[in-house]
Amino acid sequence: MATEHSLVRYDPGFVDGRLRAVWYGFLAVLLGVGGYAMWLRIDGGMATTNLTSTTPWGAWVAFYIYFVGLSAGAFLVSTLANVFELEGMHRVDRDALFAAIISMNVALLFVWADLGRMDRMYFPFLYRQFTSALSWEVHAYVAYIAVLVTELYLSMRIDLARVAERADGWRARFCGLLTLGRTDTSDAAAATDRTWLKRVGILGIPLAIFLVHGGTGVLFATAKARPYWNSGLFPIIFVISAVVSGTALVALLYVLRTHLFDGESTDPNLLGLLGSLMAGFVVVDVALTAIDALIALASLHPHEVETWNIVLFGEMSWSFWWFMVGLGWLFPLVVLSNRSWRRRPGPIAVAGLSIVIGIVAVRFNIVVPPQILPVMDGLPHGSYFPTAVEWLTSVGMIGVGLLMYTVGAEFLPLTPLERDHS
Amino acid sequence: MSVDDDATPHVPSVGADPQGFDGMVDDEADDPHEVLSEVDFDTELGIAMAEDAKRVSRGELTSDAYWEKYDEAAEAEFGDAYRETPNPAVDRGEQTISDEAAQSLGCSVGSMCDVAEQLDAEDADGDTPRWGMVIDLQKCVGCDSCTVACKAENRTPPGVSYNVVMEEERGEFPNVTRTNLPRPCMQCENPPCVQVCPVSATYKMDDGVVNIDYDRCIGCRYCMIGCPYGARYFDFGENYDDEVEGAGEITSPEYGVDRGKREAEAGKSPVGNVRKCSFCTHRLERGEEPACVETCIGDARNMGDLDDPDSEVAEMADSTRSFQLKEGEGTDPNVYYLE
Repeated sequence: MATEHSLVRYDPGFVDGRLRAVWYGFLAVLLGVGGYAMWLRIDGGMATTNLTSTTPWGAWVAFYIYFVGLSAGAFLVSTLANVFELEGMHRVDRDALFAAIISMNVALLFVWADLGRMDRMYFPFLYRQFTSALSWEVHAYVAYIAVLVTELYLSMRIDLARVAERADGWRARFCGLLTLGRTDTSDAAAATDRTWLKRVGILGIPLAIFLVHGGTGVLFATAKARPYWNSGLFPIIFVISAVVSGTALVALLYVLRTHLFDGESTDPNLLGLLGSLMAGFVVVDVALTAIDALIALASLHPHEVETWNIVLFGEMSWSFWWFMVGLGWLFPLVVLSNRSWRRRPGPIAVAGLSIVIGIVAVRFNIVVPPQILPVMDGLPHGSYFPTAVEWLTSVGMIGVGLLMYTVGAEFLPLTPLERDHS
Repeated sequence: MSVDDDATPHVPSVGADPQGFDGMVDDEADDPHEVLSEVDFDTELGIAMAEDAKRVSRGELTSDAYWEKYDEAAEAEFGDAYRETPNPAVDRGEQTISDEAAQSLGCSVGSMCDVAEQLDAEDADGDTPRWGMVIDLQKCVGCDSCTVACKAENRTPPGVSYNVVMEEERGEFPNVTRTNLPRPCMQCENPPCVQVCPVSATYKMDDGVVNIDYDRCIGCRYCMIGCPYGARYFDFGENYDDEVEGAGEITSPEYGVDRGKREAEAGKSPVGNVRKCSFCTHRLERGEEPACVETCIGDARNMGDLDDPDSEVAEMADSTRSFQLKEGEGTDPNVYYLE
């Protein structure tokens, strides 16, 4: 049970005030630079990008599917706690949900920046196309965000109510508002919350797997004109790599927030569990990607073989070997293969960060290579590397996500007040 | 003839009196009596109406007075033909006679616009063409004039080219062949671009042409990903201003919509939208062939109704030489090639 003691010192922000100042200063720089780049993008239109009619999708689309994946992955980690009731995972349940909500918002921010007509962003809700994966996706995203917010509310409500009841000052009033008036802290109310949390989670699992992230994979896989994407395995790899990145993000956040915000030490058992999950998912991701590559190469379809050639040995192959294979797969596998490292916060955080960065390269290597080769011989070849505007707007939009997370982590009871609850 | 020291080219003077030209025109004019005597209708009435029509155009007679004078006589003379033919003076835009006078006339059909629309509507009932193009590769010389004509007609900005000619060289010297493959939009029967558009901004029209609604397109470029022919281009807002003064002053009324001046700075559509060949819909609607077809020096390109089995294009599309690009994609293009 929540003790009076834990509530009296309820203050979930940064433990170190200097670190807080440095961090917010850093975020201000990200947002300032990103804001200026966004102004350039809005003023100069799509001409500020290195996109062409041969390569119409680039960095913003890669980051969009990256953040959708991060969100879907983090959500699926949360269901390990609230649907599958895996021992010890409740500690990271709310973190995972909150990160999932923010990632999804950042993803939509990237979609918005990528539109040729940013002012028409709401059109997909006015006009639809039954056969368009993208038309379905935008609706799935909205439903998914609603599920995530409902879940976070149900997971956190009891602690919001406790803080509102027993703490004082503006924090109590703020948390009181977020309970939406349901302030019952009895065991019966907690049980009701848990029941509904599980129900909404069960609804969310197919939504996240098949519609939100599988669907984003379908969006690419149905493009028959691009044989590299046009494979049945493709949406599945999407979901697996999403789970890899989501687990890594949750592990990273768990270590950072426990040390920097809660001022406590991490639980070796939970670290070990997260580490094993990460390693397992990475192995599945590697295997499925290898199978997909083999199918493509064995087909001898010139477009597929050439595209893989570009991925493995082309101009940008460094992103495949160093980032995707190195940071995304090999390095974390080496770190996580050591049982004692798996139970320590440092190696887990490093492995998590490595994966979170490595999966960015996975997304770029999904989006860009099949748009380098022209769809018909005789049309011009593409060549794409993002402009400064594309990079810096991306930095700014990621900064928005980091700011949202930090502010939330400072004010919301993301760490359950009941430590022994399972 | 005087020799000018100034070397600038000029029209040589023939030394004729400009007034003398009028006489030349009068000499050339037909004798009205002779012309009208060849038709079944009253010669005198025709001449009187023509003379008074000249007075109307000089402003000596009002249109109202003219029609009051001749309405009855014309109805008696031409009968049903007069009653069913729209009166050119009655028009929604610039009507030259008063409404009261127009109401009293014997010709009751209405204005030219209404009649034209009615004819269009009758057309739409059963007889909408399915526009198709057949390109004879044996006749194509690879001159790229279709590409140039298309850019001039559609006023496409830099980086946007609805039609391109792809060149492929095969074999080793001296046994080399070269194929030129012009590539407009295929106007597919099963267009993948239409399938993927999240806002239905691109859609198939009754005449087979795949339309893009620039007022709806959000610029997501999914259709460009979906097109197996690379026929779609994004309008990045670039201009030929450095090359041509006033390059954006005139735009093409694509899909029959006049959008006025190109305003790239303001991001006005089609800037920020996806663009492609429309088979020059605006030309087809006024009975003209697409610019690329009209300009082709080898007469390699043909335009017509694929649904009409007697049309030239339908016959060519049926020939054993005919093929479509990427037939395996299942897109069923309305552009056929003759090998």
